[in-house]
Amino acid sequence: MRRARGGWELPISEDRLGRLTKEMTEAHHDTLPAMRADAASLAERLRALGPARRGGRPVSEDRAGEDRTAGRPAAPTAADRVTAENRPGGSGPADAGRRRFLLGAGSLGAALLLTGCTSAGTDEKGASPQGEPPEVLPPRAAADTVMYTAHLRFVALSAALENQAVGAYGSILAAAGADRFGAVPPAVSTFVTMAMAHHIDHAKAWNAALTDAGKPAVTDVPLSNQRAITTALDRVTSVDDAAKLALQLEDQAAQTYLFAGYNGKSAAGIETAATIAPVEAMHVSILRFILGQDPVPEAFLPEDLAATPSLLTV
Amino acid sequence: MGAEHIDTRLPEEPTERSQDLHSDTHRITRGARTGPAAAEAASKNDITALETAAALENLLVSLYRSAVALPFVKNGPKTVAEFFDTSAQHHQAHAKAFNEAAAKAGGQAQTQPDETYEAVVTRTLPSVRTPADVVRLALHLEDAAARTHTRNVTRVADTKLRRLFASVAPVEAQHRATLLAVQSLLASGHESLIEIPTDAPRLPAAIGSATIPEVFQPIANARPMSEGAIK
Repeated sequence: MRRARGGWELPISEDRLGRLTKEMTEAHHDTLPAMRADAASLAERLRALGPARRGGRPVSEDRAGEDRTAGRPAAPTAADRVTAENRPGGSGPADAGRRRFLLGAGSLGAALLLTGCTSAGTDEKGASPQGEPPEVLPPRAAADTVMYTAHLRFVALSAALENQAVGAYGSILAAAGADRFGAVPPAVSTFVTMAMAHHIDHAKAWNAALTDAGKPAVTDVPLSNQRAITTALDRVTSVDDAAKLALQLEDQAAQTYLFAGYNGKSAAGIETAATIAPVEAMHVSILRFILGQDPVPEAFLPEDLAATPSLLTV
Repeated sequence: MGAEHIDTRLPEEPTERSQDLHSDTHRITRGARTGPAAAEAASKNDITALETAAALENLLVSLYRSAVALPFVKNGPKTVAEFFDTSAQHHQAHAKAFNEAAAKAGGQAQTQPDETYEAVVTRTLPSVRTPADVVRLALHLEDAAARTHTRNVTRVADTKLRRLFASVAPVEAQHRATLLAVQSLLASGHESLIEIPTDAPRLPAAIGSATIPEVFQPIANARPMSEGAIK
């Protein structure tokens, strides 16, 4: 039997459609028994761990004895993002539920390691945007104790970049408030406020990954270029100068996360980088538009301005 | 049950979830499997994602090319027409990159548009009357592309493909931010400010806030990996 609807005919019968849907559902159920069985309990565990992570407390108090190796999925990052995505305009609860499901699957153990998504060809230290191994350890840190190792250096770098952006936008707002720039266009004021709020949330996401791995959150800006940025901020005397400096930081962040997105070691880490990079790229576009430049200058996001972990001083 | 009770949209959501789940399961379990069979399955999965991505890009190229031919776009704000033209070129480059990657992985080039969204465009385009109508339609497609490509960063196995998706998704997001700015200016009667360079001091506050609506790029409702696959 065929059903016409608005000139279009359902090419199979309702019974057949029902049977196929049922078969498809059953097939998935057959494929996923272990993961499905554990999903609910894992979601509960993640919910239970949520408040501690949001407070930035090291998870060692809550999860003593668990493996906190670098390759383990950075579950809190995604879980925190679930909260963010439940805001208006964000992803819905269905997606959050599915993400929890995946996070649950990730902890099942050796048989279902989420870290298995890492490409076999990816070096432990990652590869530079040009395909060469980056200088992973900063000169000072190499001589002392390195706080963040392997792929966590990229996570720490990312958190530091977010803090740097938050600080820069804060300085710009303070300078504008002190009338250092003269009249500030309303679009610039709202943009700076919004972008700063975004970077605060991004920093939380990256830091959640660090604390979940048993590492301290990056709460300041341990970057070798911070002095130069601070000096540049002090010298800013116009809205245009401020926007150009912000653009530099946004370009760097977007391109760094692009690199982190394809060199990540955990599903949650890759997803965090992949979902933050487009937002930084949007910041770039609006800043470019305000500055009178083409908002989308290239067909592919480049990587030449990406930061490398060598910028990190801890 | 009468014909009027059949809503073909109903099976779409569970089908999409099921396909996403299947793809995620596939990705997760890949680490536990070894050998040629696993590599072959991963490659097939990647090719499917590339074909769907190319299909979305083909549709965006088609939309923007149709849009620049519309009289109210041709005679409207010059910057809008130029943006549509540039965006068409970007999407053409994306489609080419996805198709070349598919061919390299042993697949074929997808030259057709995404069927699901093509139906939306076909249904909507004849009724558009203003640049704002076209912008709304383009936003719909750019949003779908950004969500899908971002989602694919986590779905594909090959690092080079992950890099490709990761470099395209932010550009779709940038198209979206620009379209949101244009939409906002059109809606507030500031058509004269849609130009490059713009008159920044006169830009309304909404340009700084309404153009980036999410803190994280959403990936919910990303198109199913197989939606635009070659059949």
